[in-house]
Amino acid sequence: MARRYDSRTTIFSPEGRLYQIEYAMEAISHAGTVLGVLAKDGVVLAAEKKVTGKLLDLAGAKEGGYGGSGEKIFLLNSNVIGGVAGLTADANSLINYARTAAQKHLLTYNDDIPVEVLAQRLCDMKQGYTQFGGLRPFGVSLLYAGYDPHYQFQLYHSDPSGNYSGWKATCIGANNGTAQSLLKQEYKDDIEIKDAISLVLRVMSKTMDSTTLGSEKLEFAVLTLDPETKAPKAKIYRPAEIDALLQSEGLKKDEDAEMKPAQ
Amino acid sequence: MSIMENNGGSVIAMVGKECVAIACDLRLGNQALGVSSDFQKIFPVTDRIFLGLPGLGTDVTTLKELFRFRVNMYTIKEEREIEPETFAHLVSSTLYEHRFGPYFIEPVMAGLSKTPSGGFKPFIAATDLIGCLNFAKDFVVAGTASSKLFGVAEGLWEPDLEPEDLFETISQTIMNAVDRDAYSGWGCIVHVITKDQIVTRTLKARMD
Repeated sequence: MARRYDSRTTIFSPEGRLYQIEYAMEAISHAGTVLGVLAKDGVVLAAEKKVTGKLLDLAGAKEGGYGGSGEKIFLLNSNVIGGVAGLTADANSLINYARTAAQKHLLTYNDDIPVEVLAQRLCDMKQGYTQFGGLRPFGVSLLYAGYDPHYQFQLYHSDPSGNYSGWKATCIGANNGTAQSLLKQEYKDDIEIKDAISLVLRVMSKTMDSTTLGSEKLEFAVLTLDPETKAPKAKIYRPAEIDALLQSEGLKKDEDAEMKPAQ
Repeated sequence: MSIMENNGGSVIAMVGKECVAIACDLRLGNQALGVSSDFQKIFPVTDRIFLGLPGLGTDVTTLKELFRFRVNMYTIKEEREIEPETFAHLVSSTLYEHRFGPYFIEPVMAGLSKTPSGGFKPFIAATDLIGCLNFAKDFVVAGTASSKLFGVAEGLWEPDLEPEDLFETISQTIMNAVDRDAYSGWGCIVHVITKDQIVTRTLKARMD
């Protein structure tokens, strides 16, 4: 019976459901995990990379650019970092839209876009694809880690239906239920950025499918305030920096051990 | 009265030895009436590029913000800073988009571009108000005092000036040129860009 309704994005089923939206969300729950934690003095994002392999050319990620390997974590504006889970091609289109929206806001108001306004702009578009016919919705959930002078540090989540909400700590993608219950147990109000970083890495190491935890499979970013200028400072870690961070947190697992044939 | 001369103001850029300099006056007027003596027409684009926008005052502000938009989009997408040559073409195409209703600005830009060997090469350029590029090897001028700037620069500029000498040359050039133009003057600002620093100096001038 559902077949009659689930091929169209804009038609309710008799039970009042929009199947295409639910399928999009289902697709996301198989995507690489993205985890965000809001701290008193910053926001942390971490993401599991799915596209890996010996032959993958990562030369671009090692030097140059603003860090990150361009799969999961992106700079949306000088005050917002985005983490994506879902269809990468859809995500790239949304990121481009977000960056343009942020710059349009700067052009119009001579002020950086507030984080919630940016989330709203993307959700307005995402919602449109659940109502107007002929097109499928964006198969992407996003986490927005940002700062603005009105509400300081913020963490938002948006899904394919165009819903968005603010969080102290949240997770999207594969195993998000496990991660969220872990976060619920371990999150404390007024957590500091240093503790938030280790919390994110600890939860990440427990949720990720792979046994290894290294720059191969992890993207990591932190948004803080520059101590001198008080301007938001987005730092997306480079592979070497991620490995160094894991080492210092005592979470670096030996990749070579896995690579070697069992003896 | 031409709309290009409504608010007054002038900009000049010069090439030196492994350095460039760009200078503007500080006057904003309403025809012959002086309104402000703190109206800067030169804006930083990256750590190694400056853009001067002499012309209609309102378009100075508008174009400054429009180029910030486009350079920010370039930087975030390409994940690197824009090179002066690329920026010059961005300026040119942006102005030509408004071919039949132009911004009343004649931009002047100065910067250091990266060479394949890892060094830096001086770069200056200017365009007319619809974006026709002029890549010069010595100096470029624009604004209400452009004809005077041309004359003085022709007389004072010489090749391979060191940063301090280039500063002296560009300062003498702009000060003497704007003193002979009723719509420019009221103080000057000079930026000298070298590979490891930018020196910005404000010059006092005749206030008549």
